[in-house]
Amino acid sequence: MSKQKQKLNPATNLVAGLVHKIDLIVASILIIGGAYMYYEATLFPAAPNILGDTLNADIFPKMLIVLMIILACIIPFEIRFMPEKIAKIDKDRSVSLEPITWKTIVLLITLVSVAEFLGPMVTMFVTAACFPLVWGEKNYVRIAIYSVAFPLFVYFVFNKLLGLFFDPGVLQYLVKPTN
Amino acid sequence: MEAILKGLGLLLEWQNILLIFGGVFIGVLVGALPGLSSPMAIALLMPFTISLDPVASIAMMAALYCAGTFGGSITAILINAPGAPPAVATAFDGYPMARNGEPGRALGLAAVASVFGGIFSLIIFIAATPLLAEIALSFGPVEYFGLSIFALSMLASMSGKSSIRNLIAGCIGVLISTVGVHLATGVERFDFGVSELTEGIHFVPVLIGLFAMSELLTQSSTLNDAVRVMSAKSLKLPTFAELKKLKNLILRSSGLGTFIGILPAEGSTVAAMMGYNEAKRWSKTPEKFGTGHDEGIVGPEAANNAAAGGAMVPTLALGIPGSGTTALILAALVMHGFRPGPYLITETPELVYAIFGAMLIANFAFLGIGLAGARFFSLVTFIPKRFLWPSVFIFSLIGSYAYSSAFFDVWVMLISGIVGFFMMRHGFSPAPLVMGLILGPLVEETFTQAMVIHDSSFFQFFESGVFLVFMVLTVISLSSPFWPKIFKKKK
Repeated sequence: MSKQKQKLNPATNLVAGLVHKIDLIVASILIIGGAYMYYEATLFPAAPNILGDTLNADIFPKMLIVLMIILACIIPFEIRFMPEKIAKIDKDRSVSLEPITWKTIVLLITLVSVAEFLGPMVTMFVTAACFPLVWGEKNYVRIAIYSVAFPLFVYFVFNKLLGLFFDPGVLQYLVKPTN
Repeated sequence: MEAILKGLGLLLEWQNILLIFGGVFIGVLVGALPGLSSPMAIALLMPFTISLDPVASIAMMAALYCAGTFGGSITAILINAPGAPPAVATAFDGYPMARNGEPGRALGLAAVASVFGGIFSLIIFIAATPLLAEIALSFGPVEYFGLSIFALSMLASMSGKSSIRNLIAGCIGVLISTVGVHLATGVERFDFGVSELTEGIHFVPVLIGLFAMSELLTQSSTLNDAVRVMSAKSLKLPTFAELKKLKNLILRSSGLGTFIGILPAEGSTVAAMMGYNEAKRWSKTPEKFGTGHDEGIVGPEAANNAAAGGAMVPTLALGIPGSGTTALILAALVMHGFRPGPYLITETPELVYAIFGAMLIANFAFLGIGLAGARFFSLVTFIPKRFLWPSVFIFSLIGSYAYSSAFFDVWVMLISGIVGFFMMRHGFSPAPLVMGLILGPLVEETFTQAMVIHDSSFFQFFESGVFLVFMVLTVISLSSPFWPKIFKKKK
């Protein structure tokens, strides 16, 4: 059986014939995350007596986390009572993430990391130039026009028309103030 | 009467009319562009409307909501790729009709059905909202807590792949809303030593991340997908005789859509599917469905636009979103300093009438825009993704930054987008998370107040008849995903 078909076949996704393999991992992540948040909630200080009758800050989050953990425990068993829905989910996640998606994630993280230093204006120019290139656009003239025209359009609409302030970022070092 | 005149009078100012038409244009455009959606457009627009007149901003978003529901049918009909989830059912017969050489007629039927559905629901909206608000004025914290739990329980039957995952996403949304200083006690919760988190996580960057960024990542893997577009030169309106034959269907679908829209958390998508199913069930020629049948387009389109007006009823009257998109409009109301719920009607009634007027204008405006610009909207589908989605990212970045001029919000936007993308891969929908995020503060506040009133005794809540009713409705909505199985077994 091909790997793709194996992934889509609900029977092969079961661990010990009971629970869904991938959903077990998803549930585990939710339970571990929930447990950590519950532990954090136990560290919240109690409400000061001066406030009188009130609920402590940890009560509501704890109730929520317990509910979430209970629901998360059901996820690996969903395949037993809703196999068609889990088959649909399996169909989506059986397709591996393409390298371009990972490249896009890295690009997004890089752009946001440098955005504060560069400033919104320069970040827009860099984004408009880099994104199409990373995504395989070969028409460099189109990229050049787009990377200048679109950021300028955004700047005009949001700074001049809507009055949104654009932090100068790196431009403040490049453009000398006039006295 | 004064409020009606004031509200409708706001719409006579040229700047506000321009904003409404702008909202309609953007709504149809994002609806027509595959991958973009009206919730995404509203999330992206929100931070930019801070400097605009609040009433006009909300009216613009309401107009965008109306138009986006219709806009999604353009790509549903022309390329069999619904631009918005509510248009999925329209594609069943819309695309076959376009393939049969009648794309203009399909668009015309969709447009007219949408207008009728929208106007029907607006009549209900303007009549029901003040009435519901008056009933809600008598609600105390216990009743409001029950209502918000019922609204969250409706997530189980919301469109999505799994009810359990919808509920978990809702819980995560509510949990995110607890980050920051607890107003009742002053305790800093879940800040992990990060000073920016003491203010809480702003919902606007989260919304932008969940809707725009996660979709950008999804689209990154379909850059080379070929798209076959049926070019529509113009919209062809149905004749009076055709409309007369379809009038019962339009009325039935509009009523159904309005009712579903009024239910918390259900929205245009559920309404559209039910509109299609009911149209088929009542049709004299059900075998023609799926081949390009008029009724297969009119049924879902009347229902999905009617749901848009219906969804505004609980949103404005109770402060409980009627759908995922109205959850965003609710967030916009809060952002602009309004208090959604029964006090909105008493404190700023002109807003309700302004929204009514804006949606009424939008329902006719998208018909006009569709008539004049059908060819344009079919051509915009040719915008290369390699330039479209970087533009969306730029708007997302600027929008998240603009909200409070803090780069921290840009990180929130990005992390929400990446986490949202992986959550969607595993069957968790973003809409329930948004509902949880918006309703979270209401749920906690009313729960705390109710517990204080009843000396921390939860069982005393059940002394309220209204709370009991909401709990029964909650049990019904939580169990509703299992009914088809139970009925199947019994047969």
